[in-house]
Amino acid sequence: MQLKKKPIGATLAAATCSLLGSLPAAPAAAQEAKDWSIDTSLLYYGEDNGRVEDVSLMATIRRIFDEDRSLNATLTVDSLTGATPNGAVPANVPQTFTGPSGGGGYTVEPGEQPLDTTFLDTRTALSLSWQQAAGNATRWSVGFSGSDEYDYLHLGVDARLERDFNMRNTTAFVGLAYGQDDIKPVGGTPIGLSPMAGEVEDEDGDDDGDDRGRESEDSKDVADVLIGVTQVLSRRSLLEVAYSYGQSDGYLTDPYKILSVVDPVTGVPAASTEEGIPYLYLYEKRPDSRTKQSLFAEWRYALDRDSFALNFRFMDDDWGVQSQTAEARYRWNINDRSYLEPHLRWYTQSAADFYRTVLFAGDALPEFASADYRLADLDAYTIGAKYGLHTDHGEFSVRLEYYQQSPTESPGSAVGDLANLDLTPDMKAVIVQFGYQFDF
Amino acid sequence: MSTDIKKPRLRRGLVAATLVAAALATAGCAGVEPWERDLHARADMQADAHDAAIDDHIYFSKEASSGGRGFAGGGCGCN
Repeated sequence: MQLKKKPIGATLAAATCSLLGSLPAAPAAAQEAKDWSIDTSLLYYGEDNGRVEDVSLMATIRRIFDEDRSLNATLTVDSLTGATPNGAVPANVPQTFTGPSGGGGYTVEPGEQPLDTTFLDTRTALSLSWQQAAGNATRWSVGFSGSDEYDYLHLGVDARLERDFNMRNTTAFVGLAYGQDDIKPVGGTPIGLSPMAGEVEDEDGDDDGDDRGRESEDSKDVADVLIGVTQVLSRRSLLEVAYSYGQSDGYLTDPYKILSVVDPVTGVPAASTEEGIPYLYLYEKRPDSRTKQSLFAEWRYALDRDSFALNFRFMDDDWGVQSQTAEARYRWNINDRSYLEPHLRWYTQSAADFYRTVLFAGDALPEFASADYRLADLDAYTIGAKYGLHTDHGEFSVRLEYYQQSPTESPGSAVGDLANLDLTPDMKAVIVQFGYQFDF
Repeated sequence: MSTDIKKPRLRRGLVAATLVAAALATAGCAGVEPWERDLHARADMQADAHDAAIDDHIYFSKEASSGGRGFAGGGCGCN
């Protein structure tokens, strides 16, 4: 059985330090005979009602050079298809929207949630990290991450330092990360809160919106600091607590999201003054900076055969979003070769201050506004399980999860006709993941 | 606005949770001897970084929160 192959002493530091992706301790690595470890997975994520589907292939390769040093490389390829809510609300009349490029419009039937059907993307991401021990009780790592989509490029660096104290019962860690993202939306970056225009000809054929008076690209910077401690509480239990602070600056708006403008009494879509589009929609606009802080705690407990983990996260940001997340996992080690791990997750968030399900005709324009359901007051839960089987050739696993989220409209949105329409429908998704991990 | 009411409560909650966590961590400092850590060494007591990375990416794409256990993630114009 794989679990018993490891000598007790070999994984002591790993037990205290590798919780939640912290650095593997050198002594543990030293006694593992295998130099290479490969962890692969094939993921399917699918939302209901023809919304987003993602097929993702992820492979992590770890090379241990000696007891002090290792290199990790993770490659991910995502293929996304389907439709995504564009931010507009349903109406009792057919609604026509212009595609992001200025062409490729689409029409949504009465009563239906407006979904942008032009959504299609492939994302390739690579991350590399080098980990090294510095003496018996200190470890550090440096990393690089990059990802590329046709309209988005991310580059980032990170570093982490951790040190053991108190006979390795306590590990303190600190991490820093910095990323820069370049956004090059199809059709350029719309001017915030400007009206969606009717279809236009892309005169120079490059789809970057410059012929419509838009900037073709923008960028944002994201910096994060993480500080925390892992503490062995008893022979059976372990606690990790981490505080993180993140600052984002730059273009934080979603260039593809819009808001409906409706009559404040009847709820009927307001007429557009733009040529070629019947109703008025405004592009969303978010502040150009965001500060987030969160506190995370995880408690792990080993029973004689099984184990369980509970974790909580509190998040607070200066957009007015506060969230709480709770997760529970129970690992049922059925026998030496197989296990079943049920999983529950609960999430709740308050709406961003500038979240508006709709805007009303005649009202003064707010400074910022977004109808993105991800910034709404929402509750979500996940229920699922993972089954794993150890064989002589490695570990096979399959994971099934069901995810549901229920956004709530902003107060006072359901006027007139809108009272009889579902302005913020629930979203249901399934997650299926096949995994294979082996050492050699 | 309702969020203005919620903020101080949440911040107090964050502070209280930090203090409780710190107290728990300090209480544990009595120490577990190295030879008593066989249960901690079991594979099922280690976090699954691979699955955690996948979950972080999914929830980052669908909710307004990210990070906590590690860096806040990102690197996508997720829809």
